[in-house]
Amino acid sequence: MDKIGALKGEAIRPAAWERFTALPWPSKTDEEWRRTDPAKVPLGEVELSPDPASLRVGWEEISPKLIASGVILTDLVSAKKQFPELIQEYLMKSGAPEGLAKFVALHEALFSQGLFCYVPEGVSVELPLRSWVEIAKDRAAVFPHGLIIVGEGAEATLVDERRAPGGVHGPIVSDEMVEIFLKAGSRLRYVHLQKWPPQVVELFTQRVLLEKDAHFLNLTMGLGSTLSKANVETTLTQTGARADLLGLFFGSGRQHFDFQTLQDHRAQATTSDLLYKSALKDDSDAVYRGLIRIARQAQKSDAYQANRNLLLSQGAKADSIPMLEILADDVRCTHGVAVGPVDEEQAFYLMSRGVPEAEAERLIVGGFFEQVIQRLKLKELEEGLMAQVSNKMNKGDPKE
Amino acid sequence: MTTPLLEIKNLHVTIEGKEILKGINLALEKGQVHALMGPNGSGKSTLSNVLMGHPKYQVTGGEVLYQGRDLASLKTDVRARAGLFLAFQYPTAIPGVSVVNFLRTAMKSRFGEAFQPKEFRKEFKAAMAQLGIEESFATRYVNDGFSGGEKKRHEVLQMALLKPELAVLDETDSGLDIDALRVVAEGINRLRGPQLGILLITHYQRLLSYVEPDVVHVMMDGQIIQSGGKELAHELEAKGYAPYETEKAPAP
Ligand SMILES: Nc1ncnc2c1ncn2[C@@H]1O[C@H](COP(=O)(O)OP(=O)(O)OP(=O)(O)O)[C@@H](O)[C@H]1O
Ligand SMILES: [Mg+2]
Repeated sequence: MDKIGALKGEAIRPAAWERFTALPWPSKTDEEWRRTDPAKVPLGEVELSPDPASLRVGWEEISPKLIASGVILTDLVSAKKQFPELIQEYLMKSGAPEGLAKFVALHEALFSQGLFCYVPEGVSVELPLRSWVEIAKDRAAVFPHGLIIVGEGAEATLVDERRAPGGVHGPIVSDEMVEIFLKAGSRLRYVHLQKWPPQVVELFTQRVLLEKDAHFLNLTMGLGSTLSKANVETTLTQTGARADLLGLFFGSGRQHFDFQTLQDHRAQATTSDLLYKSALKDDSDAVYRGLIRIARQAQKSDAYQANRNLLLSQGAKADSIPMLEILADDVRCTHGVAVGPVDEEQAFYLMSRGVPEAEAERLIVGGFFEQVIQRLKLKELEEGLMAQVSNKMNKGDPKE
Repeated sequence: MTTPLLEIKNLHVTIEGKEILKGINLALEKGQVHALMGPNGSGKSTLSNVLMGHPKYQVTGGEVLYQGRDLASLKTDVRARAGLFLAFQYPTAIPGVSVVNFLRTAMKSRFGEAFQPKEFRKEFKAAMAQLGIEESFATRYVNDGFSGGEKKRHEVLQMALLKPELAVLDETDSGLDIDALRVVAEGINRLRGPQLGILLITHYQRLLSYVEPDVVHVMMDGQIIQSGGKELAHELEAKGYAPYETEKAPAP
């Protein structure tokens, strides 16, 4: 990789660059990469640079009232100039992720642009905030970096989209990281809606730290990209923290999703409830590996994990690997896995009312995802998100 | 002679290699109500599922004609659009799919061009009201967590909206309290008419006193062993199936 050697001088954070070059390229024999071929990440075919212009970050303007109350929604480059003390306090302070080491190092070395969101102590943002990150360059590696901070007792909903409306040319590698801080008693509903075009190979890391009694409600929705390998880590650092972790993946063509999650309970009476679902058409496939870790001091914690996969064709495939690491003895913990085709009895029931088979399948898949989306408990979001699902369902189906 | 609405001729059906229906014969005319009675496990639900084209049963002999048409090659949804309807004994839950969304899709499928989306809400609400179903029911998931009685009302609701020409009601009366039974029976009677044939599967005389059958059939071990008028149902109620057991016993 000559290009990588030549880039050395350009790295924004030389120590991370050193780490990146020192780490070996992932191997198929690493547990983490057994089900996703690292050779499919075309790093050698794209331009590596810390250029902030390779990304376009956008958001719906927030009201003057919210601005006056101190809410900030802007891009990272602007935030660095305007709010250096916040950046200083939080950027890259969410702790070292436990996965995707090589790509986390690369990200750290080169990222410069992304979304910045700050909700100050005690402020409730009623309406959902909306933001997006778009790819503005062809044949490039891009490094979106999200930084979201919700102050003590504050509340907000953020719908954060990944897309490339004009399309892109050539391969793209998106090596992204999102850091989220929930201060004591705060509440954040965060929807990460991944709609990258099919040229994109994505590496995605999310690190979330929850303080006392904070509540994180997360929906990660994977619809786009050709390959998406993600590591979603949620750390419950103080008593009473709660995380509801939802995932929804809809594969078609030869799409490949590989998701790893960590529910990291570090304090007493913390709760995490994870539900990840995928529906897979054509030759798409999904891998899910989820670890529940409950530290010795995290007594009276509850942790749930469920992964359900609906295989919509002979060629579709799903692997599911739940893992537990429980050091406390007074906890409640369950996990469950299901992989299978559309239920024959459900299809028969719908067809017995005149609904054609393909339409029955669409209803069942819609219902399968509706059960995830309704857990957001926000009607005004549900419809829009279900429309995203239907859109994916209806396109790329040559039979219809 | 006119073509019967439904004609079952010497129907043999197996499931997982086991023969359940062993030569069923039955003819039902338009506008008629036939009751089908028989002990548990005699094959009544098997027959209704086969009429609807459930993929897990194999028809190994005989035929089923609906409006003179052989059903064998028709898929379930095609049968339904042709006017066949089955109110299930055990309706399947479909979590995530709301009743209103399901019924809109079903009616669109059943009536095609003739479906009027603008009229749907009104029609749907009126049909619910007639069956004493609360409006909040519309947003619940299909059969998901429904009580026994709610499931049965929901089946009759669908029948009212989909306007079938042949309805098979598989124990639509079981699990209903007295009031619900009356509401459901009234619902069935409202739909009864010269354009609808009904095959009413039941264990109880109770329903038949509301919905009077033209013919009563008795099914035992995969065969219809006797047919008669409505008095046959009274007889069964009084004596049970024991007399038929002995009648059948000497068979080689
Ligand atoms: N999947 C199956 N495998 C094997 N046998 C089956 C299967 N499904 C049904 N049967 C058998 O078929 C027979 C007929 O069942 P069916 O449900 O048709 O009876 P029924 O007359 O409707 O009974 P009930 O009055 O209890 O509703 C029973 O003996 C039942 O055990
Ligand atoms: Mg039965």
